[in-house]
Formats: sequence, C-alpha cells, structure tokens
Amino acid sequence: MIQRKLSIILENKPGALVRVVGLFHQRGYNIESLHVDPVEDLKEYKFVEDKLNIKLKEGEVSHLIIATTVNDNLLRQILRQINKLIDVLIVEEVK
Amino acid sequence: MKLAGNDILIQSLIEEGVEYIFGYPGGAALHIYDSIFKQKKMEHILVRHEQGATHAADGYARATGKPGVVLVTSGPGATNAITGIATAFMDSIPMIVISGQVAKHLIGTDAFQETDMIGISRPIVKHSFTVDSAENIPEIVKQAFHIATSGRPGPVVIDVPKDTTAPDKLFEFKYPNDVDIRSYKPPIDPDPNQIERAVDAIIESNKPVIYAGGGAINSNASEELIRLNEILDFPVTNTLMGLGVYPATHKRFLGMLGMHGTYQANMSMHNADLIIAIGARFDDRITNTPKLFAPNAKIIHLDVDYSSVSKIIEANIAVFGQVKNSLLEMIELLEAKKELIDPKKILPWKEQISDWKSQHGLNHEMHLCETDDKPIMPQAVVQHLYNITNGKAFITSDVGQHQMFAAQYYHFDEPRKWINSGGLGTMGFGLPAAMGAKLAYPNDEVICITGEGSIQMCIQELSTCTQYNLPIKIININNEALGMVKQWQDMNYGGRHSASTYQSSLPNFVELAESYGHVGIKIEKNSELKSGLEKALSMKDRLVFVDVYVDPDEHVYPMLVAPNGSLKDMWLDKETKT
Repeated sequence: MIQRKLSIILENKPGALVRVVGLFHQRGYNIESLHVDPVEDLKEYKFVEDKLNIKLKEGEVSHLIIATTVNDNLLRQILRQINKLIDVLIVEEVK
Repeated sequence: MKLAGNDILIQSLIEEGVEYIFGYPGGAALHIYDSIFKQKKMEHILVRHEQGATHAADGYARATGKPGVVLVTSGPGATNAITGIATAFMDSIPMIVISGQVAKHLIGTDAFQETDMIGISRPIVKHSFTVDSAENIPEIVKQAFHIATSGRPGPVVIDVPKDTTAPDKLFEFKYPNDVDIRSYKPPIDPDPNQIERAVDAIIESNKPVIYAGGGAINSNASEELIRLNEILDFPVTNTLMGLGVYPATHKRFLGMLGMHGTYQANMSMHNADLIIAIGARFDDRITNTPKLFAPNAKIIHLDVDYSSVSKIIEANIAVFGQVKNSLLEMIELLEAKKELIDPKKILPWKEQISDWKSQHGLNHEMHLCETDDKPIMPQAVVQHLYNITNGKAFITSDVGQHQMFAAQYYHFDEPRKWINSGGLGTMGFGLPAAMGAKLAYPNDEVICITGEGSIQMCIQELSTCTQYNLPIKIININNEALGMVKQWQDMNYGGRHSASTYQSSLPNFVELAESYGHVGIKIEKNSELKSGLEKALSMKDRLVFVDVYVDPDEHVYPMLVAPNGSLKDMWLDKETKT
C-alpha cells in the first residue's frame, strides 16, 4: 500500500472540518497528515466553479489536504464517504 | 410579518406540514414550548422519556414516509435522544431533531444542562445545524427537511441556543419556497448505459434472484418492483428492512434472507448467477462471510447512495439514482426487449428453488397446538395474529427472538406495515414506534410484538398512550429470559446463561398495564391463545397488553453458521446443520 493524498474542497463553516476528520476515525481510516486553508486566491480554484457551475467568493470555502495509506478499494470507499458529507463540494485524489 | 425566534421556528415547522411533534420540555426549550402552546396546527405529544420521542417520530416516519419531528431540551434531553437518532440513522429514516441548547454566551462554559449535542450526534446524523440567529431559522429548517428526506434519508439535528428563540426580539418572517444546497446533489435519474447493461445481464441470466431492501421502501418503489417482476417472474427475497416491498403471499416470494432467513432464500442467493440488489446494502446479517458470498453471481446494484455500492460486495453493474426511477427505466427497456426474454430458460432454477422450499421451508403447522400438555410456541402467537388481522395490521417490534418470529411468520403484503429496528437493533423501539404509527393511522390496527426484555426498556410510554388515548395492542412474547442472548449462549457458550435470566424479578404485566389505565390479559395455555388474542383485538378503543407465556427453550431457525460460514451454511434446528 502507498500513501495517497486527498484534496477536499469544503464549505468554510464551523464544524465542517471536524465532520471530515471525524469520518476517518469513525470508519477506521488513519490520517497521516492534514493541511487546511481558507481559499483566498480564487484563480487556482476555477475548476471548482466549472465543475459545480457555481461562483465562489473569497474565504467562502476551504481547501483540505489529507494523506492516508490505503489500497484502491478503500480509497474509493473513503472518497465516496467524504463526498456524502453535506458540506463537501469536491473530493479527489491528488495524482 | 414580524415574529420572535421561538414563533419563527414553530411557524417554519407548520410550513413544512408537520402534524405531530414528539418531545419533552426543559429549560433551554421553554421559549419554543411557549410557541407550541399558542398554536393549534401542530399537536405536541408529550412522551415520558426522550428515547420514546425519537422512536415515536421514527415509527410515524416509517409508517407514513414523512419525516418524524422531535423536540428535546439541552443536556440530558439531548443525550437521551441519541439512541433513537442512531436507530433512525442506521435504517435511513427521515427525522428532524430540534435540541435546545444553552444561550450562545454560555456555550463552552460547562453551563447547567450544557452538552455538545452537535459533537455527540455527529457520527449518527446525516447532517446537523446550529442556529446562530433567529433570522436564519427558516432557511435552516428548509434545508434540514430537504436533507432529511432526499437522497438516502436520515436524521438531521438542529441545535437551538436559547437566546435565538427569545420572545422579545422580533424578526421579519418569510418561509423560503425553494431550497438549493450547492454541495448536496443526490442522484435521481440513472445512467442509461448502466440500465442497458443491467437489462442485458438480466436477459442472459439462468439463475436470477431479486434481493430488495429498505431502500426500495424509502424510494416508494414497491409498485415498480411488482411491475418489473410481472415482466421477469424472477424469485424475490426481501431483507428484514425490506419486508412488504414485495407481497409476501406472492408465489415468487422466497421469504426473508440472511441470519434467520428461509432456507430457500439463502440457498437461492448462494447459488444464483445473477443478484439484482435493489436498495439493499449487503450488510453482515445478509452476506455471512463476504468472501464466501454467492460465489457465481454477477451483481447488479441499484442504490441512491454511492458509498453503499461495492462497499462489502463488489457490484458488476452499479445503477445510481432513486431506486424508483431506476426501476422505471429498467421496466421501459425490458418491455422494448421483451422478445429476448426466454421464460423457459429459468424453469429448472425455479424447480430447484421449489424443491428447497419443500425440503426445509418454514413449517407453519408444527407450531400450532390446541392442547395444554405442551407450552405455547412463540411462532404460533404470530401466526394467530396474522390470521386474526388478515395480515393487514401495522406490526412494530422490538429486538430479539420475537422480532425474528414476527418477520418470519407475519406475511407482509404491503410496504411500511412492518416497523422494526433492523440496523441498530434497538430494544425499546416497539412501543413508542407503535404510538407514532397509531397517530398517523388511527383507524388501522397497530400491534407491537415484543418480549418481556425489550418492553421494559421503554415501558414508561404506557403513560403517554393513556394521555393521548392510543389503543395499540401489545403482544408480549414472554419467555422469562433474554431469548436471543440465551439462544447464543445455548449454541456457543455451553448453555451458560450469563446475565440473561431474571425470572423471579419480572413484574406482573397485567397489573402494570392496569395501573396505567389499560387492559391486561395473561395467556398461559394453548387452549386460551386464539380466543385471548381475539378478545384483545376486539377491544378497538382500548390499549390491551397481552402477556403470553411461551416455551422458554425455543430457538429461532434457520440460523446462519458463523463465523466462517456462507449463506448455504445454516442450522435448521437444534441438531441439524446443512
């Protein structure tokens, strides 16, 4: 198994981060590193606007990067579980 | 119109069409309770414990398909609701739980009756909201109902700090017409390519089985499932949560599958070359050992929840969308390709299944007995209830042997008539769930099939039934022990009944029911069973508690062999294994 990095765009709301982090523990996955920032520079996040057909405002969403070591099947399951969280806009593996 | 936060909250619920709100007052919820007092459109049902409120709302939701609504106070009110929220979460039941909270400036100070409800409930809710200002209440309520009822349904908690419902601050009230949550778009219509692949696999199959679960009920897809099978005429099995979605008296119905499923249902699944899973999630009570599950089957999986597909068993063809919509698309394509379906091809398979059924299917005759030299069999109680009610009653149950006997021997022909805690397995569910169903359908028979263990976990709700005149029938299948625990101890622990018996300390249930103002009937002999049940069910305007003493040594069979067994490995009785 190799380490995977997940890139997650989520609403910058109270409690949104803990839902993602809590899900890892709840489902028995391990977080090896975690980095989160509010999105200020919208230029780099045009893909979010294009994919969801929405308009973002500065600081309105956060970008979370989580590293975890899992196999392909579990990775797919984690991505689907995270995507189910109401506050999550986009989740994908960083290749 | 200008309103205070408490009135805004109640008006928002009325806008959502809420008829009943199940709850219990306390300090942090008092502003809200004052608003309830001042209106007449919604009735508040005062329970005797917050767990009862959540189960009653849950029973209402399962019976009607509409969300159940709960109101509790902060701290212990909120924590008492947790078991009921988890129950609804595991079975994907739409529910709104409004919890009072200490005022915003007190949050985090360990104030009186403060608890972090959002934190405590986070793993067992579909979503949750904290009200930050009264102005936002309509938007939050609108979103909460949308989230609870769409996609894969589930409970949503709204935590309401007391100051946001203060009666002295007024805000403009306008309830939103529409809701759009940009980060939440559950699938509705299936991908046509997947429908085509599914239909091709169906046409190619020789040993197909349809396996339908609670998701098909949630999607109100019973009619579509029946129509689909008018074309296919395939064998159908239902999960514990799915009972009723396909008529149990239909000749193609195999019975329930899984841990205590019928021999023919489990054998059909194990030997199938195609399994069409419809709103079912391959949980561990169904698959037994996943590696040994249905070794030759191709899997078509219809579900609204991406994370339920290929979680335990890899799906060959995944159809995402509302199950109802996916079935409609499949029906349309199958009708277009009708000439390609060869009904003769699966005749040997149907014959095989019919042989399995005659070999080891459930034997309805063996439990019935007219004479008093033998104890009452628990299965016979359910069979009599089925006959007396013509299979038309709403049946709620608790958890244990009585639940499995009810599932095996009451044949549900319609969805939403069988109301039980399948996923979480919550003892104490049956009585309050029956209250919710009875409020929703006051003219229908509502029966709680329970055991003397489970009923004592929410027995205080007998008082609620008195207050609101809820003439449900409680059938207490009394074996004077925690029957399912005892069965496992008999089978796996050398008959050492550790903490599973309490014979000398049981209450007199007849007198207990009478003390709440209800009718109590005790049945101890086979010769009294049918007439006693008939008498209880003839008292239409009274709650009747029927305490039936049954054979304490009876086990539930079939039972899957675990661990390391497959679906073909079953105990058929105390001595016989397949």
